This record gives sequence, structure tokens and C-alpha cells, in this order.
Amino acid sequence: MRHEKLAVSESNSSRADTKPMKLKNHKQTTASDAEPGNRLRVYYKRLFRRFVSLTIVCSLLPLLVVGWVINIHYTGFARERLIASFHKEVDNHRRIIELFLKEQRAKLQLIARSHSLSDLTSQSNLSRIFDLMNREDWSITDLGVIDSHGRHLAYVGPYNLIDKNYSEALWFQKVMENDIYISDMFMGFRKEPHFIIAVTGTRNGEDQEKWILRATVDTEAFRSLVENVQIGKTGEVYLLNKEGIYQTASRFGSKIMDKADFPATGIHEGIQTKIVEPETPEGQTAPRQVIGLAWLEEPRWLLVVKQDFSEAFNDVNQANWAMLLFLHVSAASILLVSVLVSRHMISVIKKRDVEAENLNRQLTQTSKLASIGQLSAGVAHEINNPLAIILTERQLLLDAYKNEPNLPEGFRDQLLDSLGQIDIQIQRCKRITTNLLRFSRRTESVIETVDLNRFVKEVVELMEREAQASGIKFFMDLDEKLPPLMSDPSQLQQVFLNLLTNAIDAHDGKSYGSVTITTSVNGEGPAEAPGIWLKIADTGCGISPENLDRIFDPFFTTKAVGKGTGLGLSICFSIVRRLGGELFVESKPHRGTEFRIFLPQRPPAELLQQMNEAPKLRPRT
Amino acid sequence: MSGAKILLVDDEKIFTRNMAKLLSNRGYQVEAVNSGDEAIRALEGAAFDVLVLDLKMPGMDGLTTLQEIKKLGLFTETLILTGHGSIDTALEAMKLGAYDYLTKPCEIGELVEKIKGASGQDDAGNPLSGPAVL
Repeated sequence: MRHEKLAVSESNSSRADTKPMKLKNHKQTTASDAEPGNRLRVYYKRLFRRFVSLTIVCSLLPLLVVGWVINIHYTGFARERLIASFHKEVDNHRRIIELFLKEQRAKLQLIARSHSLSDLTSQSNLSRIFDLMNREDWSITDLGVIDSHGRHLAYVGPYNLIDKNYSEALWFQKVMENDIYISDMFMGFRKEPHFIIAVTGTRNGEDQEKWILRATVDTEAFRSLVENVQIGKTGEVYLLNKEGIYQTASRFGSKIMDKADFPATGIHEGIQTKIVEPETPEGQTAPRQVIGLAWLEEPRWLLVVKQDFSEAFNDVNQANWAMLLFLHVSAASILLVSVLVSRHMISVIKKRDVEAENLNRQLTQTSKLASIGQLSAGVAHEINNPLAIILTERQLLLDAYKNEPNLPEGFRDQLLDSLGQIDIQIQRCKRITTNLLRFSRRTESVIETVDLNRFVKEVVELMEREAQASGIKFFMDLDEKLPPLMSDPSQLQQVFLNLLTNAIDAHDGKSYGSVTITTSVNGEGPAEAPGIWLKIADTGCGISPENLDRIFDPFFTTKAVGKGTGLGLSICFSIVRRLGGELFVESKPHRGTEFRIFLPQRPPAELLQQMNEAPKLRPRT
Repeated sequence: MSGAKILLVDDEKIFTRNMAKLLSNRGYQVEAVNSGDEAIRALEGAAFDVLVLDLKMPGMDGLTTLQEIKKLGLFTETLILTGHGSIDTALEAMKLGAYDYLTKPCEIGELVEKIKGASGQDDAGNPLSGPAVL
């Protein structure tokens, strides 16, 4: 049996001639290969960007917009609630202060109206009343009775104010005028900040003239009432009079009777709450503050309640930050997941594209082979007819020669030599046409049980002598668990012989090398079909990328003219496909080539169907 | 005793001429025709021991010729001569009762062996003693 020496490394004998062309081709291939590669990279990058953009537009943006809108609404709502709460706080505080002042005023009015001047000028009586007023809580520092001329008639308290004359004092004039008066803070005779509540007392019959009952409110008690209201760490409460003078000390520095920087706005009803950015004396902007302002009814003092904005809105701000943090962490997570998922999808798409490309290439190859097969069959048939005529002519000449024994010796030798050469050339043509017809799949298959490992060993044994002559060693790594195959041994033998011959030829020019034959059970085959893999890997010169796509094309060969027909690998491809298998090739120039053959455990149904009639059609003997 | 009588049918005139001469040289009586119609007419006119029939011919092809011959009751042991490309057709012809097939180009010796088998005679016309062997 003669076998074609084919594509893989076939042109080694003419390497010197083909080298420049190969280099040129290689450059062209690199340039043309690089362009589609770049295009694909750009395509996949664009696809990746599209996936990510789509996720951003469809999920990330809505999430951020909804998140921010909710956050803004929530912040507004929470602020309103806080302002309302602050408002209520100021209102409560105002009521407490007013209640205190009203209570003190009412007590004095009650005493003034229920006692005569003589009752109250009695020191013991006044002391008893003073004690009674301070019985529940200490709120009055002293208590005094002043006649209509401003003379202090009686006094209970820590100072010596008997006989002091207040006729020139503002408060005296005001109380004489209005019958009741609550003063602003003033220094007076005692030279300490204090304020008084004074009421007039008149009793018809007994007292001919107005007299005044005056109480000094205990400054400390009043301050504690006003100032001790703790509003957080930065909150403070104080009172200002209409002129902006502190009536109580502020928590952070200002004393009673100091002039406030804070502008006492015009008197207004109700409570004003606002957020301001006060300026420090250095002209810098201090932290924002929430301020509540409320005017007392009597006296007209302005209650000021302040707190730093950051503290007042601490909870809201914290909730805000937590929400925004959560929102942005979620957005970042979505972005990350989107990037990872997109990357995974791109890799899946890439894999699918490569598979589709391979499938497409195989399909193209198969259809190309099918059409070339038809053409080949026709060509072979047409060549066979003239060959048959040439053969008959040769035999006629032989017949004539046998009937003519007296031919001159020189002529006879030449005739026999020529007839012999004609026969050789006819046989050569016949081989070509036989190969063409085999390629066109017109040959008959015989399906038998094949022990592939044994089969491989036999073929290797057959080839070993030729390999040894070229310095090539065969290595076998055969899977002992290989199941028996139902296949065509003669066709398989042709495939193995072709591939092994090519593997040996690939080392042409090298003094040594190896060919490794591996068999294994299919674990990764098409659709995990039951079957086996046969790998033939050589350490030869490899196949250049521009040739790799063409090695299965009929008549493609790099061997010298007359050495190979270029049909061997086409036939291998066609046989393997016909037996329901797949043939793959991977090659690196100057490193070697690996052919991988997948063979199904059972041949395809269509081949078996063709086989059904074959035994009946065997020639009779 | 002369050799078996053979009808050679092939559209290649040079081939039939040469083959007829080669077979005559080997003692056979050969009539060569170049179409299916001529073959039927020849069979109607005379009896032949073996029909050597090419499959691929213009007009009536070998398969149709064989069918016609069977239909007309002119059946003769037939050897199909074909290029490799029409082996399937050759097998089809054997289903119609052809004796065997040969692929072109074929050696004269091979053809003679098949003719012997088909005719049951050696080239001198004597009956073969054993069963026909290919």
C-alpha cells in the first residue's frame, strides 16, 4: 500500500527555495491577522462598554436618582419636624418664665390687697410674709414697703435699705403710674444686677395714699430657671431686654447687663425660628445655629434659645449620611457586579464565537471537499478512459512484439524499456485517480470492531523502520481503558499512515525528533459523545499560520512537485468525518504539530444505512 | 474449438477496437459495438457467451441497456466495465444480474480471467472443470 506524504512539513527538501516566500507570507499573515484581531478586540470592548452602560442606565441611574430624591425629601421632612420640636421647646420655656413671673406678681398683688400699710410696715408681719413667700422655693431676695414719696418704710432682706428714697427711681415712677411694674435688670443701691416686681396697695378707709409693695426676685433662682435648661452641648438660653441688654447670663461668656451683639429685633408675637450663620468678631463665619426667639408678655423681654445646627440636626445628618453611604455602596456594588457579569458574559460570547467560527470553518471545509469530491470523481473517470486506451495500446504492442521474434536487438531493448516505462506511468496515473476517487468518498466501508490501541501498535510497527532511518523515535501513551470501536480499520489505517508519514517528513532536515501517539477516552468531545481521542504530536518544523488554514484543501501541498499529490490530509479529513469523527490540528512553526482525532464509539447512522446493502453487493467469487 | 463469443460495448471506439484485437489475439470471437442500441441489435442478431458492457455511455447508458436486454429476454452473462467513479452504478448493475465488474484501466489478463469465469470456458473454448473463480 502506498501512502501520500503530505502537507504538514512537506517542503523541507526545497526549503532553500521557499524560505523567502515563507517570510514574506508570514509578514502578510501577521498584518492581516492583526487587523481582524484588533477589530474583534474593539468589538468586544464596545460590547463590554454597552453592557456596563446599559446596567448604569437601567439600574444605577434610577437607583441614584430615587435614592437622592428620597434623601432630599426625608431631609426636608426631618428638618421640619426638628424645627417644630425646637419651636415647641422655645414655647414651653417662655411659658415657664412667664408663669414664674406671673406667680410672683400675683403673690405680691394678693399681699398688697389683703394687707394694710400698717400691717406690712410691721417688721414681724413683713418677715412672716417674706418667709411665707419663700416657703416653697427661694425666689424672693427681699421684700420692702415704700410710701408714695418713695421712702422705704419697711424692709426684710440682706441689705440695709430702710429710709432709702426711691422717688427718683424709674421703677418708682412706673409703678406709681401703672400700679404694677416689673423692672429690667439694674444695679440700684445694692450695686448688683437685680430686678424687682412692685405693686401698689391702696385700702379705702385705712390708707389714704398709694403705697408700694416691692419684691426683688432672687437673681440666682431666676437665672437657674432660665439658664439651666440644657439643650445639648452647644445649646444656650438667655433673656434680653428691648435695648439688647442681657437679663440673664449667656452660657458662653456674656454676663448680666452686658450689651448683646445679637440684634434684638422688633417685638413680634409668637415664636420665630431661624437658621443663621453668625459672624465672629474676627469677621469669620461661625458654625450655623438654630435660633428660636420669643417675646415675653410682661416684661417685654426677648427669650433667646440657640443651638448649633450640626448638633440640632445631628441625628438627621447621621441618618442622611448612613442612607447616602448605603446608597453609594449599593451603587458601587451594582457597578462592580455589572462589570464582573459583563466580563463573564463577554468571555462566554468570545468562547461561543470561537466555537461558531470553528464550526463555520469545518462547514466550509466540508462543503468545499464535497464539491471538490464531485469534481474529482468526474476528472478521475475522464482520465481513466484514455488510460484504459493507452493500456490496451501497450498490450497490443506487447502482443505484436511477441509475434515478431526477429527484431533487431537495440530496437527490442528500447521497445521493452519504453513499454515498461509506459506501464509505470499508467500505474502512477492510476494511483492519482484512485486517490481522487477515494477522496470523493466513493469507496466502500467495512465496519468492524477495532481495538484502537492494538491497531496503533501495528501501524507504528509498520512505520518504525522508516522512522528509525530518519532518526525519529515513536512514543506511545495508550489508555488501557479504551473501549473497542466500531469503525473501518482499512480507512483508519490510511488516516494513521498518512499522519505518521507526515509526522516523520516534518523532521526532514533534522537528525532526530519524536512522534508521540496518545489515546484517551473522550471526556471533552463534541457533546460528550462516547468515543475516543487519538493524538499524534511531532517535534517537526510545524506549519506556518498561512498554511494551517489550507492543509485540508485538496491538492494543497508544500512538497516538491511529484513527491506529494496534496490529497493525503483531505482524504484523512474526509475519512474521519465520514466515520462520524472530528479532526483538529494545532501547530507552532519550528516547534511541532499536533493532530487530534475524535472517533465515535459507533459510526454515524447514515454510514450504517449505506452499509446495510454493501454485503449483498460484494462481487461473487 | 474456438474461444467464447464476446460482445464488447463501449463508446470509446479506439478502446473497443484495441480490446477486440487483444481478445482476438487470445482466441476469443469478439464483436465490438459503441452504444447500447447497437448492443441490443447485435444480441438480437446472434448469441454471445459474454457481454462486456461499459456503464458510462452517451444515449442509452450501460444500466439502461442491461435493463432493456433483460426485458427483451436476451440475457447474457455480463461483465461491467467502469471507471472508479461509477462503482455504485456497477453495484446497481450487479443487482440486475451482472456477473461482475472491472475498473478501468484494467489489464487484459484480468479481463480474460473474468471472461473465463463468466463464460465457464477457458480461452480455447473448453468448459472449466471447477466453479468460476475471479
